[in-house]
Amino acid sequence: MTTAAPAGPAVARLRRRIDWLPYAIGALTIFVLVAFLLYPIVKTVMFSFVKSGDELAFANLTLVNFRRFVEASTYQNALWHSIEVGVLTTIVSTMLALPAAYAMARVPIRFRNFVLALFIIPIIAPPFIGAYSWIILLGRTGIITHYLDSWFGIQLPSVYGLFGIVLALSLHYFPYIFLFVQGALAASDPYIEESADVMGASRLRILRTITFPLVLPTIFAGALIVLVKTLGNFGVPAILGGGYYVLPTLIYYQINGYFNLNGASAIALVNVLITLIAILLLARVNRKRRFVTVTSTARRSKQHTGLGARIAANVYIWTLLLAALLPQIIIVLSSFAKQWAASLFPTAYGFDNYVRLQETLGEPIFNSLVLGGSATLMCVVFGTLAAYAAVRKRFKGKWALDMTIMLPFVLPGIVTGVAYLTTFNSGLIVLTGTGTIIILAYFIRRIAYIFRSVTASVTQVDEKIEEASTICGATWGRTMRKVTVPLIAPGIMAGGILVFSTLITEISVTIIIYSVEWKTLSIAIFEQLTNEDILGAATIGTVAIALTLILVFTASKLIGRNMADMFR
Amino acid sequence: MAAHVLTVKELRKVFDTDQGQVLAVDGISFELSGDEFFTMLGPSGCGKTTTLRMVAGLETMTAGSIFFDGEDFSGFSSFQRNIGMVFQSYALFPHMTVFENIAYGLRVRGMAAAEVGGKVGRILGLLGLGDLAKRYPADLSGGQQQRVSIGRALVYDPGMLLLDEPLANLDAKLRVEMREEIRRIQKELGIMTIYVTHDQEEAMSISDRVAVFNLGRMMQAGPPHEVYSNPTSLFVADFIGKANFFPARITRSDNSGAKVALTSGAELALERLNALEPDEEAEIADGFDATVMVRPEHLVIGRAGGDGLSCRVRRIQFLGNIIRYHAECADASGEVIVDTTRLVGGLEEGSEAAIAMAPADSILYHKGRA
Repeated sequence: MTTAAPAGPAVARLRRRIDWLPYAIGALTIFVLVAFLLYPIVKTVMFSFVKSGDELAFANLTLVNFRRFVEASTYQNALWHSIEVGVLTTIVSTMLALPAAYAMARVPIRFRNFVLALFIIPIIAPPFIGAYSWIILLGRTGIITHYLDSWFGIQLPSVYGLFGIVLALSLHYFPYIFLFVQGALAASDPYIEESADVMGASRLRILRTITFPLVLPTIFAGALIVLVKTLGNFGVPAILGGGYYVLPTLIYYQINGYFNLNGASAIALVNVLITLIAILLLARVNRKRRFVTVTSTARRSKQHTGLGARIAANVYIWTLLLAALLPQIIIVLSSFAKQWAASLFPTAYGFDNYVRLQETLGEPIFNSLVLGGSATLMCVVFGTLAAYAAVRKRFKGKWALDMTIMLPFVLPGIVTGVAYLTTFNSGLIVLTGTGTIIILAYFIRRIAYIFRSVTASVTQVDEKIEEASTICGATWGRTMRKVTVPLIAPGIMAGGILVFSTLITEISVTIIIYSVEWKTLSIAIFEQLTNEDILGAATIGTVAIALTLILVFTASKLIGRNMADMFR
Repeated sequence: MAAHVLTVKELRKVFDTDQGQVLAVDGISFELSGDEFFTMLGPSGCGKTTTLRMVAGLETMTAGSIFFDGEDFSGFSSFQRNIGMVFQSYALFPHMTVFENIAYGLRVRGMAAAEVGGKVGRILGLLGLGDLAKRYPADLSGGQQQRVSIGRALVYDPGMLLLDEPLANLDAKLRVEMREEIRRIQKELGIMTIYVTHDQEEAMSISDRVAVFNLGRMMQAGPPHEVYSNPTSLFVADFIGKANFFPARITRSDNSGAKVALTSGAELALERLNALEPDEEAEIADGFDATVMVRPEHLVIGRAGGDGLSCRVRRIQFLGNIIRYHAECADASGEVIVDTTRLVGGLEEGSEAAIAMAPADSILYHKGRA
C-alpha cells in the first residue's frame, strides 16, 4: 500500500506532544497536601499514643494519654462541656436565625442589602475582645446587669460559664444559618408555593408542608457549620470560661501550662472525634433530603406586605442585629474612651488610645496582612487546582482528594496548631517560630473555602468551552490561563476574600504556633487583655474590624456581589 | 351541569418597576364557555402570561373585571376561584411522591383518606401514571413530570384549567405527543381550558380558538383556520405562518374592491380589503399607501416571460411534502417565498422566473382615510 506519508512542517508541529504541565502541577499539589496536611495529622495521631518524653516508636505505644478521660474529672467535664456548648449553641443559633431569615426573604425590608451586609459583622468580629464585651455588658458590674436589676429587679445568671459562652457563641455564629437559609428562601422556585396556593393551601399550611421541608436541608447545613465551629472555638471559652473548660481550652492549658504535646494531641484527637460524630449524625438525619429548588425566573416568591408583618419583621431583625452587634459597638465605643473605670459608660472620649498605640499597632497589622495575604495566595493557587481536578478529571482516588481537602474544615483550629507544633518542632522539617509555619497552617485551615467556592464555579462552566480551546490547539496551561481562569475568577475572588478576611482575626491556630517576631492583630488583642488594658484591646479590635470590613467591601464592589453573598 | 361561562372584560395590568410603570396588559376582553380550549399566543412580553395569572388570581388586576358563571372573581383568592394550574417548570413538590403531589389539593380540601386514594388512583389511570405513584419527581422524565403536574391540577375537579407554557421544557417529539394528550384529556373531562404558548404550531393544532397577543393587546381571536387565512392585521399575518408582503399604492377604489399599483407599476385588482388598524374601520382612499399580503401556497411560480411579477430564484428547498422557492423580487418587501407540491420545470437556483397571485387569495391592508 502506498499511502502518502503525512508530511510537511504543519503536520509535524501538530503531532501530539506530551503536555507535562498538568502532571507537574498535580504532583506539586499532592506533595503540598501530603507534607503539610496529612503528615502533621498522622504525626499528631501517633503522638497521642505515646507518653510525654518518649520516642515515637512502636514499642512505646500506650493509651496513657487517653486514660485521663476515664480518670480525671477535668477531662471528663471538658468533654461534656464541649458537647453541651455545641448542642445548645447550635439550637439557640438556629432559633435566632430562622425567623430572621424568613422575614428577610419574604417581607419587604428597607435597605435590604445594607441590612444583609450588617449580618456578616458578627462573623468577622475579632476574637477575645467580643467575648470580653459581654463581660462589660453582662458581668457582675455590667451595663445590662445594672439596668435589668435596677429597673426590673431581674438577676441574670453569671456570664462566666455555660450561659455566657452559649450566648456569645450563638450571637457570633447564627449569621451562618441566617445567610444560608435566607439565600435558599430567596432563590427558591416561587411557582412551587404558588401552585400550592392555587390548590387552596393556606399560608400556614404552605409554610408547614412546602416551605419548611424544602429549606430543612439548608438549615441542617448551616447548623452543621455552627456546630463544627463551636466545637473548635477557643477564643470565647478562653475569656468567658473561668473554671469551665471545654476541649480547646483544655488543649491550650496542657500546652501553655505543661508543654505536654502528647497529652494535648490526645485531647485534640478526642475533639476531632466528637466533631466527626456530630457531622455523621447530622448527615444521617439529613440523608435523603436533597431538594434544592432554584428559580429560573425573575419572579419573586409572594411577599407578606401587611403592616403587621412588616412591623414584626423589622422589629425582630433590628433587635437581633442590635444584640449581635452589641459587643462590636462596645468595642468601638471603648476604643474612643479616655477613661472607663467605675462608671457605666466612659466619662470622656478622644483618640488617646489610637495615639498611644500608634507604635504598637503597626507591626501586628503588617504581620496579619503579610501572613494572611501569603496564605490566601497559596489557598487560591492550590485550592483552585484541586477544585478544578476534582470537577473535571476522572481519576481513581478522587474521593481521597475531596476528603483530604475538606479535612481541615472539621479540624478545630487549635488541633491544627497542635499538629503543626508537634510535627515541625523536630524531625524532617523544622519550622517552629517562623512565619512560614503560620502561613502553612493558615493555608491548610482555609484551603477548603477556596475549594468549595471554585468547585461551584467550575461546575457552572461548560466543559465543551475548554474542549473547544484544546481543539484549537491550545495547551492545557494556555486553556487554563485564557479560558478557564477568567471564567471562574469571581468564584476564586469570592473564596479568596473570605479566606483573607477570616485570617486577619484568626486566633485558635495562631495562639499555639506564633512567635514574638510574628505577632498578629489577634495576638496583640490577647496581649492587651492579659495586661488588663481593655481599652487598648478594644482599639486593636476596632482596627481589625475596620480593616476586614474595608477588604470585604472593596472585594464585593470589585466582583459585583452583595457583601452578604460572599459568606454563603 | 350547565356549561360554565368565563367573561373577561377590559383587563388592564400596570406593573410598578424600578424603571417606572410598565403597561403589561392593555384592555383584554374575551368570553369562553363550556369545554372550549382557548389559547393565548404571542411573542414573549406580549402580556399573555400576565393575563393568565390575573385569571388565576396570582396577579392583581389594575382595571377590568373577570366573571365566572356570573360570579365576580375580583375579590376571590386563587383557591376560591377553584382552578387547576400547570406551570412551565411543573412546580412539583420535590419532597413528595407522585401520589402525595396529586393528593395535595384534595388533602387541603379536607377530603377523607379513602376518597383521596380513589380519586388520585383514577387520575393516575387517566394519565397512564399508575405504576409511578411512589416515585419522587426527581426520578421522573420530563414528560412524566408534566403528566403529574397536569394530574395535580385536575384531581379536585376545578372549574377551569390554566396552562402556562406547559410544553416549553420538553423536546420536540414529546411536545407533539403531549399536546395531543392534553387535548384528549381536556375533551374527555370537558373542562374549560386556557393555554399560553409562544409556539404557533402548538397553538393552531390544539385549540378551539386562538388569540394572538402583541404589546399587551389582543390583536385577533378566532378559530385557528380563520386566524390563518384571514388575519385582520399585518402583525397577525406575519406572526402566524409565512407571509409575503408587497408594498402598493391605491389607484382606484370603491366599496367592493380596489385597484393597486405595485412598485414596478404592475396593477392588481383586489377584493379582500382590511384596514390596518382593525378597531378603526378606515375608509379606503385613492393615492394612499397599502400592503398586499399573500401566503406562500397561494403564489404560483413559473418560467420567466409568463404571467406575473418578474423575479430571480435564489434557493430551492425540499421540505418533504412541499418544495419551497425563495426568490428575489423588486415588488416585494423582503424575500418572496412560494410553496408548491411539485417541482416547476426549468427553474433552478439563479434562474429568472415569474410570480402570479390570485385576487381571491390576496389581502390588501390599507391605512385609508380615518
